[in-house]
Amino acid sequence: MSNGKRLLELVLPGALTGFAAGVVAGGLAAVVGQPAGWALATMLTLGIPLAVFGGGYSWLLATGRVRLGGFAPAALYWLVAFPVARLLHEAMVHLVLGGGFTLPDDILGFLAYQGIVSAGFAIGFLWLHERLAPRWWTRVGPNNPEAAAAVDRYLAHARTIRRRA
Amino acid sequence: MVDSSNAPATASSSGEAVHGKVRAEPVWKAGGLDPMPIRKLPEAPPSIHLLGPTVFLVALGVGMGESYMWPRLVLVFGPEIRWLFLIGVTLQAVVMLEMARYAMATGESIFSGAARVFKPIMWFFFITAILVYIWPGHLSAGAAAFEEITGIPWVVTACVGLVLVGIVFSLARVIYNLLENLLAVLIGVLVIGTAVIASLVGSWADLGSTLAGMFHFGYFPSEALSPTWFPILVGSIAFAGPSGMQQMWYTLHLRDSGAGMGAHVPQIRGLRHAGKEEEMPARGFMFDTSDADEMKKWKGWRRWVTWDAMLLFWGITMLVTISFTVLAQAAARENPDVKTLIEGGDRDAALSAMSDSFAAVGGSVLGSLFFGFIALIGLNATLGLFDSFSRGQADMTYFFVPGAKRFKMSHLYAGFLWGVITFGILILLFGPADGPSGVLDTLAFLSTFAMGAYCVVLLLVNNRMLPKPIRPRWWTNMIIGFGAVFYLGMLFFSLFKFGVVVS
Repeated sequence: MSNGKRLLELVLPGALTGFAAGVVAGGLAAVVGQPAGWALATMLTLGIPLAVFGGGYSWLLATGRVRLGGFAPAALYWLVAFPVARLLHEAMVHLVLGGGFTLPDDILGFLAYQGIVSAGFAIGFLWLHERLAPRWWTRVGPNNPEAAAAVDRYLAHARTIRRRA
Repeated sequence: MVDSSNAPATASSSGEAVHGKVRAEPVWKAGGLDPMPIRKLPEAPPSIHLLGPTVFLVALGVGMGESYMWPRLVLVFGPEIRWLFLIGVTLQAVVMLEMARYAMATGESIFSGAARVFKPIMWFFFITAILVYIWPGHLSAGAAAFEEITGIPWVVTACVGLVLVGIVFSLARVIYNLLENLLAVLIGVLVIGTAVIASLVGSWADLGSTLAGMFHFGYFPSEALSPTWFPILVGSIAFAGPSGMQQMWYTLHLRDSGAGMGAHVPQIRGLRHAGKEEEMPARGFMFDTSDADEMKKWKGWRRWVTWDAMLLFWGITMLVTISFTVLAQAAARENPDVKTLIEGGDRDAALSAMSDSFAAVGGSVLGSLFFGFIALIGLNATLGLFDSFSRGQADMTYFFVPGAKRFKMSHLYAGFLWGVITFGILILLFGPADGPSGVLDTLAFLSTFAMGAYCVVLLLVNNRMLPKPIRPRWWTNMIIGFGAVFYLGMLFFSLFKFGVVVS
């Protein structure tokens, strides 16, 4: 299996969860027959950055750079990633719809607000990610050493906690 | 405590260790029901196991209180009124931990715990559940929101939804697993989606005032003490987080998820797989609290459930309410009519106006999205409510109705489920969805009264039916005692001062 495919398998749970958030915002619009332009633009300009950052989180977790299942690392990660994704969305959605490249008026206030909201996003992200990732990595583990190692870390972590309990 | 090598203890109404005289297995005798045999407490899961039965409580708890009632109060009285919400939800988090204490220590529901203290208390909850929860009115908000998006009449959606819920729960091999997976995904989408929507329409100022408002302890404007608003305020506090009997049902989900001593009790299966259900034991179990290893495992279970209570339950309930409050503030700023409609109390008109104002700001997609989330909240609550109601009634029937043990628990569950579905469809088609108007006040009264009553039950059960080492600390008892006074006090104050029960 190529390195690229293995990496893709590794980052898929986070990328999927991140993209789902963009799809929630844009996808429902398409289903209910709302203007396709806004729906599609939001789906892509918000979904893609969130998918990239979500995949990044999966990669950090799978390669042991982030503590398994902890809320604090996820909250810190999204404290930076979520405002950046929203800033990209704000700038790009106008660009895509032909309004030119514009940034929010009060950019610092905008980023601060998005930073606070990111805590809520982090809970939802972690909730779905921890549901998807261990199952998916267990499934692809036989052909993907990094995924198998990630599953081993989950099991080892569980054993450590059990010893402590 | 429960060591068969100890001398036999004298039986009394409170819990104590006894054993028979001739090599009988060690048991824990608690109250008037069969003693609980001593079994090993399983290992607690690591805290990375993020999802627990709290998912049910979140699904049940995040409802109209969070998405409508509190945003409404904020628009009327300002964000400072939210300190009462903070108290309400925090109180519910402590109640949740105490419900979990009994369920995890014994594998029994809190209903069985109540029956151990005094059986009529349990029958009170049995009858209250039927009176309050058979009316399908709770379906209307979610189904009406779905109608706004799709145009399908809400009664049709509600009836089809009811039948689908029945079929899915009847076909499932193990109902708990199916429902946990389903609700987990739905709530995950709700949480992520709410955060994204709040990030699209809210502002720093809205969020700042909403958060700051939570710490204005003691703020109580004089209008809030009026006959119009006080009952609404009491209802909103009671509906902050899980309301009515939802916390009691949580003990059944804990048992079915295998938490603590629940691991020794078989899971409820769908009707199609009921034949495979193992024999249901006649009572719960207890672990040896004099064994240091067992107590270590117990602490692990307490850590696990505390994590569940604080991050998932408290955190998500707060997040959804804060987000919807921010949304309501944004909507009211865009369109002053929204404020008037919300204040006026016409829920459907207010939600519709909020949706319109979002459509004006961020494109019509935001308006539909708003309704999408209201529909999602309704779906979560309905799935959780039907399952929980059937679970609770089946549990009480199986253990306490003479002759009911001839049936399997799964059969009783299916009986109550299809009973409430059939009744629900008939009422949707031919009757008043919320219940006959003449009894609405009684139902609202019972729902809030049950919350004060379960605080009293918790104090009795946890302090009298459990071995000393695992009883609650004094400060926990103080908080639960405060809960009883809080719910019952406000309810009766409203009733006697204004002649109105909660709204």
